[in-house]
Amino acid sequence: MSEQTTAAPGGTVPLQPGIFEADARGAPQLVGTRCRRCGAHFFPRRTVCARCLSQDTEVVALSAVGTLYTYTVVHQSTPEFPTPYILVYVDLPEGVRLLAPLVGVEVDQVRTGLPLRLRVEPVRTDLEGRTVIGYRLYPAEVSHD
Amino acid sequence: MTEVFVVGIGMTKFGKPPDRAVADLGTEAVLEAIRDADIDPRRIEAAYCGHVFQGMVAGQRVLAQTGLAGIPLTNVEDACSSGAVAIREASLAIRAGEHDVVLALGMEHLTTRFRGALTPAEDDLEASVGLTMPAIYAMRARRHMEEFGTTRRQLALVSVKNKRNASLNPLSQFQKPVSVEEVITSRPIAEPLCLYDCSPVSDGAAAVILCSDRRLRQLTRRRRPIRLAAAALRTGEVESGLPSMAFEPLTRRTAEAAYEQAGVGPKEIGLAEVHDCFTIAEVLRVEGLGLFPVGEYPVRLERGEADIGGALPVNPSGGLLGKGHPLGATGVAQVVELVRQLRGEAGPRQVAGARVGLAHCRGGKAAGVEGAACTVNILVA
Repeated sequence: MSEQTTAAPGGTVPLQPGIFEADARGAPQLVGTRCRRCGAHFFPRRTVCARCLSQDTEVVALSAVGTLYTYTVVHQSTPEFPTPYILVYVDLPEGVRLLAPLVGVEVDQVRTGLPLRLRVEPVRTDLEGRTVIGYRLYPAEVSHD
Repeated sequence: MTEVFVVGIGMTKFGKPPDRAVADLGTEAVLEAIRDADIDPRRIEAAYCGHVFQGMVAGQRVLAQTGLAGIPLTNVEDACSSGAVAIREASLAIRAGEHDVVLALGMEHLTTRFRGALTPAEDDLEASVGLTMPAIYAMRARRHMEEFGTTRRQLALVSVKNKRNASLNPLSQFQKPVSVEEVITSRPIAEPLCLYDCSPVSDGAAAVILCSDRRLRQLTRRRRPIRLAAAALRTGEVESGLPSMAFEPLTRRTAEAAYEQAGVGPKEIGLAEVHDCFTIAEVLRVEGLGLFPVGEYPVRLERGEADIGGALPVNPSGGLLGKGHPLGATGVAQVVELVRQLRGEAGPRQVAGARVGLAHCRGGKAAGVEGAACTVNILVA
């Protein structure tokens, strides 16, 4: 994926600042915050723990697997998002609930409890021709490697 | 502490009026509230204006047209709760002893501002992955259906009830009732929600004039003053862990604050105007407010308990689904309806014997928090 993104003529830009950090191979991975005092995890990252108000927090990589909590098929959206598309909330093992598009699955296969895998990848091209790096969910059993 | 009373109400028809600017709508509502209060406009000492998308100093443009220019005015933005927050700010100015007669105005000209589905702020993380407001409520509806066995038909009944009530309200955007079939076969927006599960794009304005008990004694009064017994505001907490999306702790916390301030409990509420931006939203609101047991509202609704003649009428005005939802005006329009009902001036949609009314708004969404701004206003005849 990194080859694909660096090859884009306009360069790459993250969906939002601060949501990715490079892993050992230099590929972007989704990160959140862990409170060193109470252990709570948060996404997106934050300076103060919302549970115990400690400022002793660290940035940690989030799990790339989770369970589908709820979903919808969106039929009306803003021009940036061609419809229809599936949006889901996925529960990660750290106790973080994350919103993301679900792809690579037929709508009638979608149900709560479905095991999902999160992938950081190009999601669209912005108005300046840059590749936007975001994240999407796939059914866990489908391999993309 | 100083008590606060509503002495004047005004509201435009909600809908999509051609060729009417937002300040024009605001002016109509303010002038009607002044007439209704039957006071010299020069007695109004301060004003608060709730709106979301109307640009800089929108409230001042209304003051200029109404002849009230010169008094202190604060523009208030808290998404769909903006109007309700304007009322709360006005009441605080009176309770603090700073002013005796204060105007609270809410207005929105939405048809000129956007089309399609409303989203959180553009730079919000969840908006950047495609979240729309209908989508978040659709996902909450899915959870309510899974956790409590709520049916698609029961959800549609919220829209059926509120559009029926709206047909009894000449100021409503929708003037015709709809059937369950029409709701569930309308255009899909975010499954399972369809077009008639969603509040419409609306323009409109509403205004109330609040007064201290001290000044109330000096006013000549043609109409019964209605006491604003509570004006509670809370913001959404950062979500930690994996809470149920089929229940609203934010609404519960705001309601508890309001009940304590008013000295009443949910059992004493005789009618409620709640923020039914979507059909599922009414379910979550009334259960969060403690007006119906958690998970039971859809069945109670089916039995007619929330109808105008039922045990606890919900959204007799038509609600956002039927009356319309001009964002900044909504919270003020709810209070206008409660005042009409508590005065006994609601005509064919009058709730018999109502003495205590509750208005609930909930606005905005930001990634990581359960909701942005929630208000509960309680009015007592």
